[in-house]
Amino acid sequence: MSNESEQLALVLAMAGVEPIETDLGPLATAYSIARENSALVASVTAARYEEPALIFSARP
Amino acid sequence: MTARTISAALAALRSGEVTATELLDEAIAVADTHDEQLGIYLARFDEPARKAAAAADEVYAAGDPAGPLLGITLGIKDIITSVEGPTTAQSLVHDPSWGDQLDAPVVSRLRTAGGVITGKTTTMEFATGLPDPSKPFPIPRNPWNPDHWTGGSSSGTGNGVAAGAFLGGLGTDTGGSIRGPAAFCGISGLKATFGRVPKSGCVPLGYSLDNIGPMARSARDCAIMLNVLAGHDASDPCAADEPVPDYEAALTGDLTGLRIGVDPLAEHRRADQDPLLGELLDAALAVLAERGATVVPVQLPYYRELTAATGVTSRSEAFAYHAPDLKSRWSDYFAATRQGMGAAPAYSGADYVQAQRVRRVGQREVASLFETVDLIVTPTASVAAFAIDGLAAAGMERFRAMHTSYWNAVGNPALSIPIGLGAQQLPLSLQVIGRPFDEETVLRAGDAYQQATDWHLAQALTTDRAAVGV
Repeated sequence: MSNESEQLALVLAMAGVEPIETDLGPLATAYSIARENSALVASVTAARYEEPALIFSARP
Repeated sequence: MTARTISAALAALRSGEVTATELLDEAIAVADTHDEQLGIYLARFDEPARKAAAAADEVYAAGDPAGPLLGITLGIKDIITSVEGPTTAQSLVHDPSWGDQLDAPVVSRLRTAGGVITGKTTTMEFATGLPDPSKPFPIPRNPWNPDHWTGGSSSGTGNGVAAGAFLGGLGTDTGGSIRGPAAFCGISGLKATFGRVPKSGCVPLGYSLDNIGPMARSARDCAIMLNVLAGHDASDPCAADEPVPDYEAALTGDLTGLRIGVDPLAEHRRADQDPLLGELLDAALAVLAERGATVVPVQLPYYRELTAATGVTSRSEAFAYHAPDLKSRWSDYFAATRQGMGAAPAYSGADYVQAQRVRRVGQREVASLFETVDLIVTPTASVAAFAIDGLAAAGMERFRAMHTSYWNAVGNPALSIPIGLGAQQLPLSLQVIGRPFDEETVLRAGDAYQQATDWHLAQALTTDRAAVGV
């Protein structure tokens, strides 16, 4: 089992969801995309001191 | 032979050239002939629609003041509530009593305007994911080629307008679910500014990204519908209390003085992009320039990061809503729904907060860009409608070819309009984006393009095209 598969298994267990076997492959792909998305938003250092409102507005 | 628009239908109704009952009969005939194959509807309301059409004809006959959509056939995506029956969200999991079977504010507004609601249209489950043939729901197919998908998730509103099953309808858009099906089906679709149209009565997907909006043949039709749909409603905490202009009055056909920034997003396209996209995009830009606009190159700031922010936000907000059911009814969800949402716990609370902070930065950067241009245009997608065969196997990765979700992150209005047929004889489209709450300029540009072209009027159904030798 790869490191990413182990991480996914842990995440799913902590969330309390029990996927069926045939979903594990697509879930691994979705997990990879999620990690990529997290890294992309984390890369925006200009956002560090932002404090967005709880209700999103197109005119912040 | 070209397809009928809402604006043309209204003119014909007002002149007495056609009755609302005849328009409805046309719509019902299309549904009778094509719905089984195309998967337009989850529920048809033929009898209530006949009563509404007859009532509309009485108003026209009496010469009484007519509502702005009096007698116009409309389909409603089945994640938006209406009085005719339960809302399914095309799901075995969704509680059918959700929404108390009342009209959502948008449906109430359409009905008050005289719209004839013909039924509830197919979606992807909870407005996300892909079709699942193992579940007891229709698979929406594209009228341009039934071996291809409509796009999602406002699938049935998209293929229904394209096929002529109704003249306009409601879609919803969290990451592109109005603009994607509009693009794939060769019609027009508007995601207005976030908050412009109240979204209460719509089953939520990502509540800080969700929009309800019009889908119809033309930008003008979208303007006519937005005149009815726009405006504050206290039932939606995200609804914006902003003045509502007359969107149709803004459609002058003249783009003189407008600066349009174009980002072809070439570096973000996939290897399987349509080979004719560049050519069609250039031709469309030439039309906008002929109408008076100055077209200049721009580069969207933080494209990948803001697209990612929509992904983080959408999945996290959806998982918060669905977690209890995913734990207890995993297999009842569509495969793509559970596989997409199931990985959402990979996002931490900090990831979600960071995504919101990135959205703020993105809004500021996009606002700076809009200090130099009045509109931005990009391809809606770099591919045409996906083939249904192999759709599930390709998975959600394929959605990277859609260039829509960036605008959900920042909230600006975005209109998709068809610009021609790609290499597979399937529609390709242009996305026109404006400043927050400046739908007037967005629709003006879309309408100006459509005054000079007729892609939005092209017959989608292969049977109709064969009948006129196309």
